[in-house]
Amino acid sequence: MTFTGLIGRICMFPLRLIIDLCVRWRIHPNTLTFIGVLINVAAAWALALGKFVTAGVIMVIANIFDFIDGKVAVESQTMSAFGAFWDSVIDRFSDISLFIGLIFLYATLDRRDYVMVTALAMMFAIMTSYTRARAESLIKKCKVGFMERPERVVLFMIGAFTNRMAAVMWVILILSIFTVADRIILTYRELRDVEVMV
Amino acid sequence: MTPPLRVLWNAFYWTYERATWQYDVMVIAILSFIWLTPPDWLKDPMASGGGPIAWLIDVLK
Repeated sequence: MTFTGLIGRICMFPLRLIIDLCVRWRIHPNTLTFIGVLINVAAAWALALGKFVTAGVIMVIANIFDFIDGKVAVESQTMSAFGAFWDSVIDRFSDISLFIGLIFLYATLDRRDYVMVTALAMMFAIMTSYTRARAESLIKKCKVGFMERPERVVLFMIGAFTNRMAAVMWVILILSIFTVADRIILTYRELRDVEVMV
Repeated sequence: MTPPLRVLWNAFYWTYERATWQYDVMVIAILSFIWLTPPDWLKDPMASGGGPIAWLIDVLK
């Protein structure tokens, strides 16, 4: 088993209990998704105040909701097309709110350089999701590139808990640019092949 | 494509799943950058100092 696979399995133990409780209490997955974004806004507020450890703790709680909503939907058989749409829309709000919290902090500190780095990281993080969504309206699957939402969320937490948010913003920015490029390349190749066949 | 170029291309054009050894290598590289790069080098607005590299240099002196 790989190192990251092992960490995933360890984290799954407590999550399993929470998922079972939500199914038993019949909490609707869309409600869990919405609670997740509200808690993420609180995390963004803590980031904006420069309280990174507090933000990290809040992000952990928010992302438990974020992670379990899909699993609860499957287990309680409440999956729906709207649920999938709602989840991905709300995820964007969560993503953007964290970036805005950081942009507010760096603006308060009069650090225009990191305002720009964070704003660009936010732009490419959103484009990562958009390129996939748009590509998958044209081709079957567009799941290439390293920097997807789970990676971003974990990096935000690592940056918050270890006070290395600047390095994290650089990593998110560079790898999100690569991810967007990967998705454009894949979509171009797939569509070119289709056009050649026609 | 030569092997070093192939490795670079595969790192850029990422098609590996999570929980593969390639993913682990990428994670280690990212964490190394985050934790080993001195905050002063990046002009981190919230952290300062030389980080673990400066600490290691001090210990070795």
